[in-house]
Amino acid sequence: MTGTRTPALASAPAPAPDRELAGSTPPRQGRQRRREGRAAILLALPFCLLFLTFTLWPVVQSLFMSITDTRSRDLRHPFKVDVTGFANYARALSDPTFLSAARNTAYFVVVGVPLTLVLALAAAIALDRGITRLRSVFRLGFYMPVVTSIVAVAVVWRFLLQQDNGLINTVLGWVGISGPNWLGDPHWSMPALILMATWRNFGTAMIIFLAGLQAVPWSLHEAAAIDGAGAWQRFRHITVPMLRPTILFVSVTTGIGYLQFFEEPFVMTAGGPLNSTISMSMYTYQQFGFGNYGYAASLSYLIFVVIAVVTAIQFRLLREKD
Amino acid sequence: MRRLPLLATSVVVATSALTLAACGRDAPSTGGATAAGAAVASGKATGTITIWAMGAEGEKLPTLAKEFEAANPGAKVNITAIPWDAAHDKFTTAITAGTTPDAAMVGTTWMGEFAGLDALDPTPGNIDRGVFFPGAQKTTEVGGTSYGIPWYVETRVLYYRTDLAKKAGYTQAPKDWAGLKAMASAMQAKAGAKWGIGLQAGGTGSWQSVMPFAWSNGASITKDNAYAFDSPQMVEALKYYQSFFTDGVADKAAPAAPTTEPDFVSGKVPMFVSGPWEMSAVEKIGGPGFTDKYAVAPIPAKQTSSSFVGGSDFVVFKSSKQRDTAWKFVQFLSDPKTQASWYQQSTDLPSVQSAWKDPALASNAKLATFGTQLKTAIAPPSYPTWEQVAAQLDSEVEKVTKTGADPDSALKAVQQQASAIGTGQSS
Repeated sequence: MTGTRTPALASAPAPAPDRELAGSTPPRQGRQRRREGRAAILLALPFCLLFLTFTLWPVVQSLFMSITDTRSRDLRHPFKVDVTGFANYARALSDPTFLSAARNTAYFVVVGVPLTLVLALAAAIALDRGITRLRSVFRLGFYMPVVTSIVAVAVVWRFLLQQDNGLINTVLGWVGISGPNWLGDPHWSMPALILMATWRNFGTAMIIFLAGLQAVPWSLHEAAAIDGAGAWQRFRHITVPMLRPTILFVSVTTGIGYLQFFEEPFVMTAGGPLNSTISMSMYTYQQFGFGNYGYAASLSYLIFVVIAVVTAIQFRLLREKD
Repeated sequence: MRRLPLLATSVVVATSALTLAACGRDAPSTGGATAAGAAVASGKATGTITIWAMGAEGEKLPTLAKEFEAANPGAKVNITAIPWDAAHDKFTTAITAGTTPDAAMVGTTWMGEFAGLDALDPTPGNIDRGVFFPGAQKTTEVGGTSYGIPWYVETRVLYYRTDLAKKAGYTQAPKDWAGLKAMASAMQAKAGAKWGIGLQAGGTGSWQSVMPFAWSNGASITKDNAYAFDSPQMVEALKYYQSFFTDGVADKAAPAAPTTEPDFVSGKVPMFVSGPWEMSAVEKIGGPGFTDKYAVAPIPAKQTSSSFVGGSDFVVFKSSKQRDTAWKFVQFLSDPKTQASWYQQSTDLPSVQSAWKDPALASNAKLATFGTQLKTAIAPPSYPTWEQVAAQLDSEVEKVTKTGADPDSALKAVQQQASAIGTGQSS
């Protein structure tokens, strides 16, 4: 399969725009060029202005904020603050709550991302090969959680996860397991949120995997089958390598999403019990809420760095091997 | 690609401009704060004022505004209702941009922050501050200056099921700490309750459950204009609070979404400590006749009976161009008659003591208990950092109730964090 370009990550080299115009005399050509240049600047100006005002400026200002002691009462005079260098960053790395938020986020990502990927791939394969009847109904069903509103879903999940008469513990009771107090027990609150997040998010990954699977040529499977390869061997040696770019894409997007996980603890547990479900994003949000803008900005940049590093690692592990 | 140098240049320019502009903080102003603002002019109010109010109050306030307009033909009041969730951001944005309304309803815990932003107008000298409950009046005071008035109040009292208490051998509410503990245990032993009393084991706002016990033990959150959480009184109160959980009288693994009302009605948890809104909530679930099955009582005392006072304040912003009209509207809101009629419309409890003489309030024994409790109720300090410190207290309280952590070291941890955070006041 080496050297096979796949649509997901291939970038076709764009043809160089032909700058030479069918001009006539040199002075006329120059005038036309100038006019063209002016037009180009004029056309690009709105975008540049919008970009500078609404994208670059907030980034620069928040970066500046992160090295100052800005608090909410400084909003009237955002520059009359003391520059404290990396003090905010140092404080974050010795803040026990932020460190436990980082541990919780790592737990969520390390367990949640593989779980979501495996589940999504299994569902995609089932839809691609196994389920032939009512395929679109199943596809819709699996994708449905993605488009639901987290706030409405949270209410239902809180009922499902109740200790005494929740559906999950009732079902566990049928097979003789007495279920835990999911959201009330610091050891089980995170698994409960991972369960919910996986349920909510695997639909997107599944759709992408499904598209990837349909790009795997069936002739390869046929050829391997003739050579005596079983279903597992074909999956292991044909499907997975062919899907590698898709897996990379899905794991990167899911990883970025999960590293910023916020909604689940925000609506389900408020970070508790005993800070067992507080995430980095949520702690940052709380700090903004307390008015510690400088500190919160530095936390945001720490999250940004973590995401960049994790994504780089994913690219390294899953890149195409020649 | 040709834009890249331009981009890089602009980044460099912007950053250096920032660095140059950032010339550090001004020295804190040392001038003494004025005790009171200029008096409000007498006579009828005129002109148009804009007012922001949150939640149910924002929806019901236009009725009062109409009354005000009827009494002051030259005045017009525009009410903007804003949702609680968005309110704090909307206020800070408006203060920063200088686009505040003339007057507004403000959460008591925001007073320190807004006053620190120099956005609020000090209360005029001719508005009598003595008419309010003292604890509620304190919520308007920042650094010794009063900004605005307490508009309505709420406080926490003990709810208990009278029918189940009878089964447990009690015909009266407990008066002191030992009595409360004994009664809660008896509810479990004799009246078939799963838990004797419902106390918040942690999570946001659990300090509001703990502090009534601490204040009733003579504790104070502040000392010499700084936080003071590790006082012996505070430790004793937290130990007492913890004992309910370690003795199995209160549920330490209460669900994330509280089920206070249904558990109270079913008798599973026949006692709890909460605010006035629970009256209509439990009566709604309990159905007709439930009113006679429960009662409310002041927080059991150790030294005194001092609960928590909350509610909302009403302020006038400094940038108001209709200062006199705005304050006249605030004066109108604090009139005992307006306060009593506002209770009828909104069930918000009056902050003006004399309004409680109104028959609608005085004739209800349960409400009278709230009225009594309010006289001694205490508010948390109006420091801008209070909410952050309270969150630390919440998280340490949770460790104490759920994992059995030592109250003494938990409060030492709170104190350490509170000292690091500071009061957030500029001077």
